Amino acid sequence: MSPEQLTGLLNTALSERLAGKIPGEEVIQLERLSGGANNETWRLTWGITPLILRRRPFSADSIDQLEGNILGLSLVDEAAVIQLATSTSVPVPDIHAVFDATHPIGEAFLMGFIPGESIPQKWLVDDTYEVARSRLAFQCGEALGRIHRIDCSQLPANIGPTSLDKRFAAAQKRLHAFGDISPAMQFGLNWLIDHAPAEAPCVLLHGDFRTGNLLVDEQGLAGVLDWELTHQGPAEEDLGYLCANVWRFGHLHKPVGGFGEYDELIAGYASTAGWTPELSTIRYWEIFAALSWGLVCQTMGALWHSGNGDVERAAVARRRSEAELDILLLIEEWESE
Amino acid sequence: MSQDSEQTTASDVTISSYWGAVKGFLMDSALPALSGRDQFNARVAANVLGIIEREQQLGPELAALDAAAAQQWLPAEAEPGTASQQVSRALAAREINTDSHFFDYLKKRQLLVAAINNPRYASRKVAEEKWRDES
Repeated sequence: MSPEQLTGLLNTALSERLAGKIPGEEVIQLERLSGGANNETWRLTWGITPLILRRRPFSADSIDQLEGNILGLSLVDEAAVIQLATSTSVPVPDIHAVFDATHPIGEAFLMGFIPGESIPQKWLVDDTYEVARSRLAFQCGEALGRIHRIDCSQLPANIGPTSLDKRFAAAQKRLHAFGDISPAMQFGLNWLIDHAPAEAPCVLLHGDFRTGNLLVDEQGLAGVLDWELTHQGPAEEDLGYLCANVWRFGHLHKPVGGFGEYDELIAGYASTAGWTPELSTIRYWEIFAALSWGLVCQTMGALWHSGNGDVERAAVARRRSEAELDILLLIEEWESE
Repeated sequence: MSQDSEQTTASDVTISSYWGAVKGFLMDSALPALSGRDQFNARVAANVLGIIEREQQLGPELAALDAAAAQQWLPAEAEPGTASQQVSRALAAREINTDSHFFDYLKKRQLLVAAINNPRYASRKVAEEKWRDES
């Protein structure tokens, strides 16, 4: 859909949906932001209020029939989870309008714009964010502890708990469906099955809580974005995911997202969750996160083959090799300890 | 006219030259003229050209490594598929003893694959330093 078409549809829809809430008459400065191989993100202004539109340009159900929540929730469900998170003190945007897949705009939601920097290559290195970086691992732990305390009974019905065995089976199904092209990923899945921790109670997980999906200002964590991979699972999964090599953006010496230390993250988590997770279990989930990233890359390749997506999606398919390398490095490290 | 005085002019254009010409067009002409998503995708496309070039260089070495692995760890009656697919399926069926020799194969393989797909990935440098002396 062209920006002109989208502007026209938004003008009609928002005049009604935002009436009495946000003053304005038409969309100005609609601009697509570059990030996101799955959903589109658009920045726009309504009156004088900056807003963000998240839009899915295709029906996920129609092209990804495999289990495993790789493409994530519908945007309608994602908006519902974000609204649920507003009841905690986790910084999330306000949801102003939600459109289901039958709407001419397509599946989408409109949310508030939170000031802050999202681009890791900026806030991970810029002196402006030095204080923020020193606080961020603790703050991320605090935020995750709060998210994990959200009452799962309030979630949309399709965000249910899933056992590890089912997760393994879903991953295996994907590896087969994608042609068994990666010995390293298969080796990693076998290892994860053989070293699985005892089943733990499921909590609401953000599912994609990482550098790149965080908004940072000079004080630290300003916003938690991209809730599309929300699911239920063991708490350490979110913590390990944040520490995955691929989300350190090259700053490998800082295990928490490329900016912090494990003990800071764990201390922040304990302060709001009321219990202290084991580092070894977090490390296990780092390896799981590497496998998950490889599966996401393979899914992107499959989507591109099916005619859904542009050159970025085709390129992401080859980033599978990042996951493969990390799986081997992390397993070797684990086995040597 | 003597032979020494004849001048030759290159007329063949190699794959490598085509690669340079297309990448040059993308980066020097297309990219500055584009904006937003299209500009981002032009940059991605230039990176994809890099993958193509590196696979041309390193692909044969990778294929040979996989073929040797298939010979070492798979039964003589090969299943359909490439060598790496056969190894993956045998792993899934738990038919391979994943000892240190097999792990060494995976490490060598992934260093090559990473060198093709994303040589700038930070973990590749770590892996190279760690595994270089082992080969």
